[in-house]
Amino acid sequence: MNGEALSALIDDRPDDGVFRVHRAIFDDPAVFDLELRHIFESGWVFLGLTSQAPAPHDYFTTVIGRVPILVMRDGEGTLCAFVNSCPHRGAQIAQRQCGNARLHVCAYHSWSFDSAGKNRAVKWEAEGAYADAFRAQSHDLARLPAFGEYRGFLFGSLTGGVIPLAEHLGEAAKLLDLVADEGEDGVELVPGGVTFTYEGNWKLQLENCSDAYHFTSVHPSYVRLLDRRQSEAASQATRSVWESNRNWSEDSKGVQGGSYSFANGHVLNWGVMGVSDTMPLYESAETIAARVGEARRDWMFNMRNLTIFPNMQIGESASSQLRVIRPISSRKTEMRTWCLAPKGESANARRLRIRQYEDFFNPSGLATPDDTVAYENCQRGFAGRVEPWLQGYCRGMMASRAGGNAHSEMIGMTPARSVLADSQLCDETLFHSYYREWARRMAKALP
Amino acid sequence: MGAAYGEGAAMIDRAKAEEFLFREALLLDRRDWDAWLALYAEDAVFWIPAWRDEVSPTEDPDRELSLIYYRGRRNLEERVWRIRSGLSVASAVLPRSVHSVTNVLVERADDSVAQVSASFAVHLNDVRASREHVFFGRYEYVLHKSDGRLLIASKKILLLNDTIPAVLDFYLV
Repeated sequence: MNGEALSALIDDRPDDGVFRVHRAIFDDPAVFDLELRHIFESGWVFLGLTSQAPAPHDYFTTVIGRVPILVMRDGEGTLCAFVNSCPHRGAQIAQRQCGNARLHVCAYHSWSFDSAGKNRAVKWEAEGAYADAFRAQSHDLARLPAFGEYRGFLFGSLTGGVIPLAEHLGEAAKLLDLVADEGEDGVELVPGGVTFTYEGNWKLQLENCSDAYHFTSVHPSYVRLLDRRQSEAASQATRSVWESNRNWSEDSKGVQGGSYSFANGHVLNWGVMGVSDTMPLYESAETIAARVGEARRDWMFNMRNLTIFPNMQIGESASSQLRVIRPISSRKTEMRTWCLAPKGESANARRLRIRQYEDFFNPSGLATPDDTVAYENCQRGFAGRVEPWLQGYCRGMMASRAGGNAHSEMIGMTPARSVLADSQLCDETLFHSYYREWARRMAKALP
Repeated sequence: MGAAYGEGAAMIDRAKAEEFLFREALLLDRRDWDAWLALYAEDAVFWIPAWRDEVSPTEDPDRELSLIYYRGRRNLEERVWRIRSGLSVASAVLPRSVHSVTNVLVERADDSVAQVSASFAVHLNDVRASREHVFFGRYEYVLHKSDGRLLIASKKILLLNDTIPAVLDFYLV
């Protein structure tokens, strides 16, 4: 990194009204290596949902940074997480994305482990002429130093000494509550995961999820198609939450939403949607209100784009998407995506949810490919260093307030900062939360 | 096989099925969208399943996710409109493509319906991204004969390499 200093990458001077990000953080491989170590492979990251391993001995595999992870439910039903690597020679133990196994046998030398990660056999141990020092060692799978659950969402850390998960999530946990409470028994992943890649930095996805400014620029083809469907009253067409709501459109007036920033890098951008029959949740509008109150119910019908830093995003608009960001290199990112759904919703609601999801969120849909291609355009542009500082972090600077507002109070949530916005303000100060957390983590590596 | 499964003789043999599938491939590669759309029945199903895990594609589009699941040609017409609209950056510079269609078999056929399977590899040069890619998998068609013309009643595209480099659309598989 040539002794690059943090202050040379993030120019954060709130008193001067300045927040600038250097292009190098998006395309410098040395920065990327430090990010992997200090942001992904150290500190809380999202792993998956408890519903991905519902029964004893169920497991699923995932990755933190470069490290393969095995999440298992033991015979007692307790979830635990391990590095998916044999202590013997390092081979990855579980090969599948998910499954059920009382015993995991390493395919290389047949060391075996139970679903609690405990070593059950070292092949021909007695005959192995091992020294006492070997016998004194644990041969169990390496347990993640930190692992925790919040409302069915699982997080882990490859390093210990992290703050408790509840503290890490902080007030943003109340936004996870809104998702978890959509179903009386919680939420689940609709079968069928979709993975896509783009040739761009992982932070492009981080930002775009929270970016209200791009919607009318990037998605006019989607919006115009919704208009066409309505004018044709086409029975073969998929309905969309965006068709009945214009909070994003250029001629709408008044407060239409805004942003909240939280400690530890979490952010939300949101828009008023109203309780609409274009949403799969509509059938449950009354029962949800009875269960969690009208305020929380109304918030569940708002458009919400939530990031739990650094790798988890939930998009709630045209149905619900869970995204996991997996950085591959400074210029390549893999996105794992799923349709989230309340357990036990009706067949009609589930169908509407799935169709809307495919229409909007899929990399084969009518919206996401336009985002992704925009990221790739950014990545190519980042190579420019004639003017190294980006100007995309300035909208809303004079609208950002410490603490919450009437809308966050509705759900008893106190964010660190908030912006109340009409459809054209399109706050960019919520990105500051990302980069302040980014800088805090990277401070360990950069002076 | 081409074994009849309803009344009457098989409406199509392998040579005719190949010609039809090769024609569709060429229309996509030539971006002759109107002629391509005209191959589809008004209520045609166009389906690209997603995958549950390493081995099983999704099977029930109402309970499981698909990459694309359309009932009705108008949905494909929307996709064509989107390309022509100039309003989609993802559709602005289309990759150059060759649809290679092989292993064509008439699995079942009678005098009005035929089930045809094939393999495909679509070679792509995404010039804008300086990226070449090959999407590959299998097609399952249901073809109808209507007023003496063959029409696609249903096309299922089982995409085997389903990690999508940025964009997947009807003209890329």
